Amino acid sequence: MSEEQRQPRFLLPMVVACMLASAAAAQTPADPLGDRGRWADMQRQFYQGGEIIFDPRVRIEVPANAEDAMNVPVAVDARALAGEQIDRIVVVADYNPILKVLEFEPTAVAPYLAFRMKVQQSTPIRAGVRLRDGRWLVGSAVVSSQGGGCTAPSAGRGVAGWERTLNTVSAKQFSSSAGNRLRFSVLHPMDTGLANGIPAFFIDELSIRDGEGRTVARIWPAEPVSENPVFTLELAGIQRVTQIEGRDNNGNKVLGTLR
Amino acid sequence: MQRKTLSMLVAAALAGVSMAAAAGPVTDEMILNDAKSTGDVLTFGMGTNGQRYSTLSKINTGNVKKLVPAWAFQFGGEKQRGQESQPVIHDGKIFVTASYSRMYAVDAKTGKELWQYDHRLPEGIMPCCDVVNRGAALYDNLVIFGTLDAQLVALDQNTGKVVWKEKIDEFSAGYSYTAAPLVVKGLVITGVSGGEFGIVGRLDARDAKTGKIVWTRPVVEGHMGYLNGKENGITGETNASWPGDTWKTGGSSTWLGATYDAKTNLVYVGTGNPAPWNSHTRPGDNLYSCSTVAINPDTGKIVWHYQNTPNDGWDYDGVNEFVTFDMKGADGKTVRAGGKADRNGFFFVNDAESGKLLNAFPFVDKVTWASKIDLESGRPVYDDANRPGNPGADKQGKTVFSAPSFLGGKNQQQIAYSPDTGLFYVPANEWGMDIWNEPISYKKGAAFLGAGFNIKPLFEDYIGALRAFDPKTGKKVWEVKNNAPLWGGAMTTKGGLVFYGTPEGHLKALDAKSGKELWSFQTGSGVVAPPVSWEQDGEQYIAVVSGWGGAVPLWGGDVAKRVNYLNQGGALWVFKLAN
Repeated sequence: MSEEQRQPRFLLPMVVACMLASAAAAQTPADPLGDRGRWADMQRQFYQGGEIIFDPRVRIEVPANAEDAMNVPVAVDARALAGEQIDRIVVVADYNPILKVLEFEPTAVAPYLAFRMKVQQSTPIRAGVRLRDGRWLVGSAVVSSQGGGCTAPSAGRGVAGWERTLNTVSAKQFSSSAGNRLRFSVLHPMDTGLANGIPAFFIDELSIRDGEGRTVARIWPAEPVSENPVFTLELAGIQRVTQIEGRDNNGNKVLGTLR
Repeated sequence: MQRKTLSMLVAAALAGVSMAAAAGPVTDEMILNDAKSTGDVLTFGMGTNGQRYSTLSKINTGNVKKLVPAWAFQFGGEKQRGQESQPVIHDGKIFVTASYSRMYAVDAKTGKELWQYDHRLPEGIMPCCDVVNRGAALYDNLVIFGTLDAQLVALDQNTGKVVWKEKIDEFSAGYSYTAAPLVVKGLVITGVSGGEFGIVGRLDARDAKTGKIVWTRPVVEGHMGYLNGKENGITGETNASWPGDTWKTGGSSTWLGATYDAKTNLVYVGTGNPAPWNSHTRPGDNLYSCSTVAINPDTGKIVWHYQNTPNDGWDYDGVNEFVTFDMKGADGKTVRAGGKADRNGFFFVNDAESGKLLNAFPFVDKVTWASKIDLESGRPVYDDANRPGNPGADKQGKTVFSAPSFLGGKNQQQIAYSPDTGLFYVPANEWGMDIWNEPISYKKGAAFLGAGFNIKPLFEDYIGALRAFDPKTGKKVWEVKNNAPLWGGAMTTKGGLVFYGTPEGHLKALDAKSGKELWSFQTGSGVVAPPVSWEQDGEQYIAVVSGWGGAVPLWGGDVAKRVNYLNQGGALWVFKLAN
């Protein structure tokens, strides 16, 4: 087939693709981070189905410069959305090789979650809060990093017998005038699958239950959550958490009980 | 008229179920019909009785030379070790396991990967004989396989996500898992690997949908079985055939899995060598090591056993599969029988209902440990001079030369049976060994052998030989020799063909009646896995996994020079007739 014959076949799909792209762009407001991120890709993959609003009430606290790319502390705080009907919160990182960081469903707790994650290079972190009416309220922050956090083996891999302590839960509940706070950790390598010869191995489901066995929050971590993850939740009206239950992608169970 | 149309439609629908690929969840009925259904391969053995016989004849002796690759799928990674897996095929998807506890789902038409599951293994796993896996089982919407750290994992066939996971046993005590599970009556049935570490062999049955344990049956005398969490009787009689505490670390691992025959409602499992290898530490028959054990899946109890090598002293690890078939006796009556090509060099034919020995004959040219199997008593006639000596207080007992070697007249490579020819096709190996005993004491998780050995080929021109035997007469009908030891299973078809692979990398098709080679293809690495066949869109396909490895390169001794030039790999090859 000659070049002349081929050309017209190309043109039409390209025109259509351009029209679609501009149509999609029209629905989405401009990314406050401008060209520092790749918002259009994130929106297409993770924030579908409703109006997008960049909302300063969705705060992401990150250090401006991440000293340890394997352990970047992140706090997603949407408590300023008091009164909104929150369904779930989806956290992603634009320039990580694995984009999704975690999902969080604050069923009966405050819309606040602090954790640590791995970053591969400097990247925006996004938190999209999906409301029950389908709208997405999105907050963004940029973390600068030397990088490399996602393709390094977990530190625990070198320790013989990691499987004996796998999924061990440590948890504590704190009370203050501001309310009750839960902090817990789970021993797990959280391997991304990107380090040579080490398969992806990570906790992918956690449920937090209160004294009456009700699920008050759920977390679906993904590979970028740091090794031996630590989570902090604000319990709002929940008096006492008694159980943390979940599993990893190999089906190993997580079960921690608070006395 | 209308009625006729309707009944024709129903007939067509029924034919569709039995002949072509049935979509949707895998049921018990589909599993029991697997040997007949052509559109899928739901079980290890192409039918629970393990005949490895395909009723398809579109590929046959007349046109097999036109067989060409349809596509190949690479396992990739740096983990290219022995690939002993048999693919299972359902609903347009091929599920194939690979070394280091990996599983792939591949589109059967195109070879496109649908998903991949890499099990995270701890550093301390103790597989004795390469990091292999032999395949998966299908049930409901699940694909179930075992891992080297002795876990059983059930994945969603469509997504590859873990649905349930259960621990078979402690890998740190030497347990491992390499066989393909068997599903019978909604139960997923698994054995254990780890016979070189003093573990105790057993079969476990779990609810295939949930992984919840239903029964467990140890195959070493003295150990308690359980059913629904309650004691279900001790296996055998404590100390009847094991002195002192030797039964507590008695080995007899069930590492090659089990077969099932719906006509007898029995699960047949081959049991491994007693531990340690030094037989002088455990005088007695050491039941039920080196045996075929028949278990009722409804009760978890042993119905019969037949011991192939009582008081084994050579690692004649009799895990070999018991393949049931109809055999016409001299009186013209058909009996349901089972054939087993044992590690110890004899081919055994037992009544599948009662276990009674019907025939036994050597399938290798040289056997030193016994002169014959006495058909009256059912026991071997030992040559006592050829049992390795008792070391006593010395460092080493008397060395003897034994054939077959401990790698066996046949090892993990599966036999096939054709109801058309009435012949068993046995991938056999001719080799011997110098073997001697050493003093030994048990330490949890440490190798428990008490023996040393050196393997030697018996003949200059070959070790492996694919042989066809008549189970009634013991007559060797034909053989095809192979320089390197055969380590891949056989398959036979209604097309009059026998397919098998070689360590040299060839997948071959022979005439099932004459053994004449009709077709061969170089897969690029050694074949140590059994081929399968199925039909889709009206065409017959053949698939085999290629990837050299297994026990031979690890334990090979003087055999090594025949195999040490072979390169590793890891691929699934699919073939069909050229258009």
